[in-house]
Amino acid sequence: MAIIRIDKMNATKTALSAAGLPSMTATGKVFGRGKGLWEAKVLEGVKADLPEALVHLGKEPRLRPQRVVTLVVTDDKLNKAVETIIEANQTPEPGDGKIFVIPLYESVRVRTGETGDNSLD
Amino acid sequence: MLMIRAIIRPDKSSKVLKALFEAGYVAVTKIPVVGRGKQRGIKIGDVTYDELPKEMLIMVIKDEDKEFAVTTIMEAARTEPKGAYGDGKIFITPVEEAYTISRGTKEL
Repeated sequence: MAIIRIDKMNATKTALSAAGLPSMTATGKVFGRGKGLWEAKVLEGVKADLPEALVHLGKEPRLRPQRVVTLVVTDDKLNKAVETIIEANQTPEPGDGKIFVIPLYESVRVRTGETGDNSLD
Repeated sequence: MLMIRAIIRPDKSSKVLKALFEAGYVAVTKIPVVGRGKQRGIKIGDVTYDELPKEMLIMVIKDEDKEFAVTTIMEAARTEPKGAYGDGKIFITPVEEAYTISRGTKEL
């Protein structure tokens, strides 16, 4: 499960397809905030000691629009998926998002009823 | 690490977010969802509304913070004074790994 910038969605899709992991589920816009990150503008203002910027510090940070991409992969493809998403989403600034790896107990292909790794091929 | 998924009333989400911020849990993702609970939605006259709008808050925390984070969410999301049907649920699942994309590091 990866939480990424909305404008990186196309890059992520292309990269995942190229890496052979085309199947995924994505949400529409979700809203999120990171670890005490204020907008870059505010931080610049604080450096310049502008009073308008200083009032924003210490207040709750605003929620930014993001998208959540969920992939179910077999264990051997995990590293590839993580690397692909990191590569496609990295920018110089903070706020590129997070990837969480969550165990999954079962997976079933609805069309045929296959379970486990067979249902993911 | 644990992932907390809290499904709460949309009108409580700003209160919960504020409480979480003050408790030191800044990183949160909010998703608008619809759902129904054990009461099978709300029945008004002949019409049953079983796709009630809710908001899902997703956050990943360290194992030892579980109790505190859950209490914080629960107290802020509960309808005053003693709670009501439809206040929501909190689910906790294990997370094996977490990566920060901007730094490319394996850490929360």
